Amino acid sequence: MKDAANHIDDDLWSAIGDPTRRRMLDMLLTNGGGTATSLSEQLPVSRQAVAKHLGVLDRTGLAHGVAAGRERRYEIDEAQFARAVAQLNAVGSAWDSRLARIKRIAETIQRSQQQSSDHTYTRRTDHG
Amino acid sequence: MQSQNLRQDVELGSIERELFIDAPPEVVFEVISDPRHVAEWWADAATFQAVPGSTGMISFGTVDDGGKVVTLTVVEAVRPKTFSFRWTHDAEEAADVGNSLLVTFELVPSGTGTVLKFIETGFREMGWEAAVLEATYLDHVTGWKHFLPRLVSYAESLGNRP
Repeated sequence: MKDAANHIDDDLWSAIGDPTRRRMLDMLLTNGGGTATSLSEQLPVSRQAVAKHLGVLDRTGLAHGVAAGRERRYEIDEAQFARAVAQLNAVGSAWDSRLARIKRIAETIQRSQQQSSDHTYTRRTDHG
Repeated sequence: MQSQNLRQDVELGSIERELFIDAPPEVVFEVISDPRHVAEWWADAATFQAVPGSTGMISFGTVDDGGKVVTLTVVEAVRPKTFSFRWTHDAEEAADVGNSLLVTFELVPSGTGTVLKFIETGFREMGWEAAVLEATYLDHVTGWKHFLPRLVSYAESLGNRP
């Protein structure tokens, strides 16, 4: 558990922090894989630049390359990708819980203030 | 919805949420900025003042028992519109980009209630470890199990307010 988490480190944020790499991840997911050549045909960057980005994704474990003819063909590592997604989700859901509590507390205060002002009003009316 | 949120989180290296609260901005502002309320919805204890530049602590559990104390510095407090703070920086350091996470709340009046906009940034600059810490460690002590008994007594105590 701890070991799995350790594989996702600071590099992951920089890996997915780059817009070109995010587009590449998208394309790898959509196309079920790709090479530096096939990806660069769909991107406004050189084949060399794409190859570098693929190296970054490989090092973070988000994608893996295997030799395919004269090139390397890359595919998403689904297990690592799922771990990254799950951890990112966990950060968001921590705040979802906190925000839900903020909502409950604020609405509880509001209801009790309304009730107490209604109460005051009723009493005043009672006493004429 | 979840996947949409996630997509946004990935895109921006940040967490953004928006929710409607059926209470006016003045009440919501108190809840998000008053340390006594912060200790109800987030930490076990909170010591800071809701004024820009105020540095304090929020603590989770007791330190002797594996708990943690985290530094928090208020960045902006414009009642009842905006409240923002930086947290997780080293107590010896001034809060700044790169050493802390920035949380911003914006309150927009909506009918008799408030639309609360939340954004937390700084993950990309601080690194993944901060995000993992924030998610896995800092929340388990403030789960519903811990919170519900408090909410009941808290709601009851409100009835006794002058």
